[in-house]
Amino acid sequence: MVKSEKVIERVEPASPMAWATAAAAWLVPGLGHLMLRRWGRAALMGGAVWVCFFLGMAMGGHMFSLSTGQGSSALLQVPPMIANMGSGLLYIVCWVLDIGFADDLVQAARATYEYGNTFLLIAGLLNYLNMLDAFDIAAGRKP
Amino acid sequence: MRHFLVMTVFAVLASIVFGSIAKETPQERWLYGLKVFAEFMVIGLVLGWVLYFIP
Repeated sequence: MVKSEKVIERVEPASPMAWATAAAAWLVPGLGHLMLRRWGRAALMGGAVWVCFFLGMAMGGHMFSLSTGQGSSALLQVPPMIANMGSGLLYIVCWVLDIGFADDLVQAARATYEYGNTFLLIAGLLNYLNMLDAFDIAAGRKP
Repeated sequence: MRHFLVMTVFAVLASIVFGSIAKETPQERWLYGLKVFAEFMVIGLVLGWVLYFIP
């Protein structure tokens, strides 16, 4: 091969099923791997997200949305909101029922408040990793 | 004690996902998961002691 010659790697476009699997994996943690019949991965990876989320709620964590900030500070809510939104349906249900979004001073005074915040953020971020893993498997890019 | 327990639970949950998505064989995944868990714990303890001496 000539030194300047570039190797062009062709990547097959992902099938609609792969995208549907990714969407399911985001919406319900673990569902994407269940659809792929990866029972162990679904239990471990999905279970980790569910446990992380509910521990975060139990510790009094706070979830973020654009309505929790005032003026330009609303923009500061965007990064943690994106992390929270990774939990998919869990985030949506809490948002609809207004659970964990209120600025409650009593809740914020709890010793585990910041731990709860972190667990909720990490639950969402871990689920993004789950979603990407499910997508890669469904698209045939990962065994 | 409670803080340490929370840190341990966090490290376990994160290392489960990290270990599951990385590497090829189950054995490599186990080793990587354990390595990530140990890193979380050690770095957490070191940072805890460093911050303890900072007023």
